[in-house]
Amino acid sequence: MTGSDTNDINVSPLIDVVFILLIFFIVSATFVTLPGIEVARPRAVTGKALEKNAVIFALSSDNEIKYAGSTVQLEEVPGLVQLASKDKGKPVVIQVDQWADASVLAKLIAEARKKSSDVSIATRKPSA
Amino acid sequence: MKRRLSQDPENTEINVSPLIDLVFILLIFFIVATSFVNEVGITPKHKDTASASTNMEEPLAFDLPASGQLVRDGVTIGIEQVAPIVRSSTGDKAPSVLVRVSPGARAGLATEVMDQAMLGGALAVKLSALNQ
Repeated sequence: MTGSDTNDINVSPLIDVVFILLIFFIVSATFVTLPGIEVARPRAVTGKALEKNAVIFALSSDNEIKYAGSTVQLEEVPGLVQLASKDKGKPVVIQVDQWADASVLAKLIAEARKKSSDVSIATRKPSA
Repeated sequence: MKRRLSQDPENTEINVSPLIDLVFILLIFFIVATSFVNEVGITPKHKDTASASTNMEEPLAFDLPASGQLVRDGVTIGIEQVAPIVRSSTGDKAPSVLVRVSPGARAGLATEVMDQAMLGGALAVKLSALNQ
């Protein structure tokens, strides 16, 4: 009891824990660009967990291709995939609405495949 | 020198409060910025036609006309028949499946057909659009 300043709580363990949390979140941060719409995914029993660090497109129920919050044209898709994947060959995930047109989906997959070898369709579990 | 001697050695510590503030702000930023995208999905793989010399056999073709039906060799079938058809052809060769969709067919149905084909053991599934 030499002075009021010395009665402080020892914050060193707190800083240690916070630093560890900070480093964990920095390392695990994968800044993916979300398409900006929510779609009704089709059900699939063989669905597997997809790569988290992916280029995500969405195909809405009125057949609009969405990327990063805006509507894009089919011809822009290969360029966007190349730009987003930065020559690292990121996989492409397509969130398709189950009421979208399947021929648009087929064309979108074909366009994305020009720049990425791994193109997936997001689904949901049959129970969900 | 006089000041240091006159106080306890504990009181000469660096003030860490601004450091903690900064670290907390960074921590909250990274927590918020971490987007937990946990997607499940199917990956329709199809073989590279330029390199595959064993790809001579005809793929199993399913047609999805705009009427919303599922047609195999001109016969309308149910979605639950896809997996047995693919599985029954697995005996001699690894089947590759082609899903031909017409404008107006539902993407949900096309995805379910691909899903059932992969359930039946198809190695390569290709979705192709028919232009009409």
